[in-house]
Amino acid sequence: MKVTRRDLLVWSAGAAAGLMVTPVPWKILDDVSIWSQNWPWIPQPARGPVETKQSFCTLCPNGCGLKVRMAAGWPVGVAGMKTHPVTGGALCPLGFGAHQLNWHPQRLRNVQHRGQTSSWNNALAAFAKACSQGPVVVIDGFPGRAASQVLRGFADKRGGSYRVIANAETRVLAPYEAWSDVPASALGYDLENAQTIVSFGAPMLDGWGTPGRFARMWAERIAGMNDPALRLIQIESGLSRTAARAWKWIPVREGTESALASGLARVLLEQKLVPAHGPIPAATISEVAAQTGVTAEAISDLARSLVTQEPVLAIASDYDPAVAALNVVLGAVGARGGIVRRSQKAEAYLPAGAEIPNARAVLIDSSVPWTFAPQTEAEIFRFAAWDGGLLKADWLLPAPGFLEELTDVPTPPTAAVETYAVAPALTKSAADVRSAAQFLAALDAGVTSSEKVIHARCAELFHAHAGTLHAQQSIPLQKIVSVEKLEEQLWAGAVWVGEPLRSAGLHCELTKWPATARSAPRESWASVWTAPVLPPLASKLYIESNLREAPPRRNV
Amino acid sequence: MSARYGMVIDLDRCTGCGSCMVACAAENNVPALPQATPRTGLTPILVRRVSNGRDGAERREGFIPIMCMHCEHDTPCVKVCPQQAVEVDKATGIVMQMPQRCLGCRYCMTACPYHARYFNWWDPAWPTGMEESLNPGVAVRMRGVVEKCNMCHARLHAAKEKAAAAGKREIDPVDYIPACVEACPTGAIHFGNLADTNDPVCKEARSPDAFRLLARLGTEPKLYYKSKEAWVRALAESSAPASEVQHG
Repeated sequence: MKVTRRDLLVWSAGAAAGLMVTPVPWKILDDVSIWSQNWPWIPQPARGPVETKQSFCTLCPNGCGLKVRMAAGWPVGVAGMKTHPVTGGALCPLGFGAHQLNWHPQRLRNVQHRGQTSSWNNALAAFAKACSQGPVVVIDGFPGRAASQVLRGFADKRGGSYRVIANAETRVLAPYEAWSDVPASALGYDLENAQTIVSFGAPMLDGWGTPGRFARMWAERIAGMNDPALRLIQIESGLSRTAARAWKWIPVREGTESALASGLARVLLEQKLVPAHGPIPAATISEVAAQTGVTAEAISDLARSLVTQEPVLAIASDYDPAVAALNVVLGAVGARGGIVRRSQKAEAYLPAGAEIPNARAVLIDSSVPWTFAPQTEAEIFRFAAWDGGLLKADWLLPAPGFLEELTDVPTPPTAAVETYAVAPALTKSAADVRSAAQFLAALDAGVTSSEKVIHARCAELFHAHAGTLHAQQSIPLQKIVSVEKLEEQLWAGAVWVGEPLRSAGLHCELTKWPATARSAPRESWASVWTAPVLPPLASKLYIESNLREAPPRRNV
Repeated sequence: MSARYGMVIDLDRCTGCGSCMVACAAENNVPALPQATPRTGLTPILVRRVSNGRDGAERREGFIPIMCMHCEHDTPCVKVCPQQAVEVDKATGIVMQMPQRCLGCRYCMTACPYHARYFNWWDPAWPTGMEESLNPGVAVRMRGVVEKCNMCHARLHAAKEKAAAAGKREIDPVDYIPACVEACPTGAIHFGNLADTNDPVCKEARSPDAFRLLARLGTEPKLYYKSKEAWVRALAESSAPASEVQHG
């Protein structure tokens, strides 16, 4: 049979029409759209059993409670622990992306000696040699941990020195230590009972203290109310996030917050608005007005408004004896809603300055902020989970990253009561890492391991029979039947909270008014963050949006 | 009974911390894009800083989280999509985006009055090994498709599976909470069923302080805002964030 051109066209048209009534083209179109979602270069999430575990963030000293979603043994999501008695489920914005940090391109994966790859054995040998030749200085960023006890024990044993890098919130408490002999590490802020908080540049709603603690309280007691139960007064040169949301913002000239604190104290004392007696600041109100740019009338009005809703608590952004002295005048030291003593046994620390003379070796723990740059002739052994980019040490030693190490979480620097928690290692490390405490234990068999110290602390806690354990339910510690049961709860994410000491043993008396300091602004919103890198998803905040500026001096 | 999931965001409580933005990106496997700009980045929820336009001590500032408003009526993105890649889910009221169907024409981005849609300009990529940290409940989308908030639909699926495993037809409300709601440290974002008059969120949405952005368009958004400050409520009818402050 001869096939004509017409037959071919009819057959083609029929085939095309017939094909359209079959599912074939639609199925192919659907499959293509699905295949095109699954090119080999498009990453696929890990598959495996999904479970939720509890732990604590150890990236800053605040130790927020975490609910960690794990898949195939890896953390795939982080949320706040709702049962945490302090944070109540809050985290800082950086915490929500922290589970990706262990894979950060700047993760330190091997021992480095002056830029060259080396080994743990070489580092141990070099450290042992340096220790045998002279004193060693050990520097810690989060004091009070079991690991801190190991570091301090080693320094004491070797006749060396243990020093601490105090964060801004702890430095704020230093004047009270000088005036009362109670260590700053034993003091805290009773925010929950304060009715008025005067912040002298402190970023109360933007990274101050434990995330969520103040923010939650503020939201419940102040938001959207003209006459709130908690008055937040922000004294600051610029309209910061805290100033924008405060009940009242008092703009002052940059760096004069401290001068205004002295001016307020003078009004309070001269007009007998407070029962306190004591030295009167030297600067007159008109001098303070000229310095700060706030009128004398406004200073007087502010001072009077402070005492209309008590207790009042003044909080500085950093070390500022004038603001601390204002608290003494206001009667906020050792009182409900003020600066309180939270511990009877906390130890005093020797603060670490940038200059470290007369040392042969300096060991820097991974908890020390990367921005700390010691000036010393000694050989520097620096532990870090991430490489900050600039060589700041003779030896860079890879430390465990996020949730890779068993550690304990002592009381956060601003807390009003003592707390204790244990952060178990939830994931294996992608690199050959050791903590500073493990390093020292490998060097000296007489050094107790962090794990043993944690067990000893749990036993001590159990035998004290005080406080409450917060998990799904709150359980008085007396109802815990054994140390093993207590450890079981702590390892599962419970938080021990001690009894409030109230005003026990804290009394400050001023003999002369301290000199006013020029207040320094905080470095950035990420200032408590110790790691030299930020979670990659932080880019949503300052690269992919206009919400924040990129934090300075960070490799991001 | 079908639900109408929605949110009420208390702007007086928002401190602009950005936790919601990071938590959303982590939950939905949105990659970090160092090559992006505020114009080309992927931020299914975006917190904007706004002011009352005054200077000195009179100046007030606030923050408005912007995301898909899940418009109920005449949903603009649904109407313009040539691929039927967007639909309003009848059972939940959630405006769903199906990347498998999306051509990347971006009509929906143009049509959206809230600028709540984002184009995926680049293939999603993470540093070596970081794929292990991705949420297994959410597929990674390829470049060339439009993305937006879907109220953490994977969490709704998980809640449904949990309910089904327990032999229940309805999910327990505590099992379905979007990531941004869970992350907010001040509890500013409230999530619930607007069709349930007993739901606290439904009651909040009817409070005198509640408002919706560009309500005059008649698209019936299911995202409500709340503020006691008059200048914040006045922003509701502003067609562009004219008083937006750059960088916080």
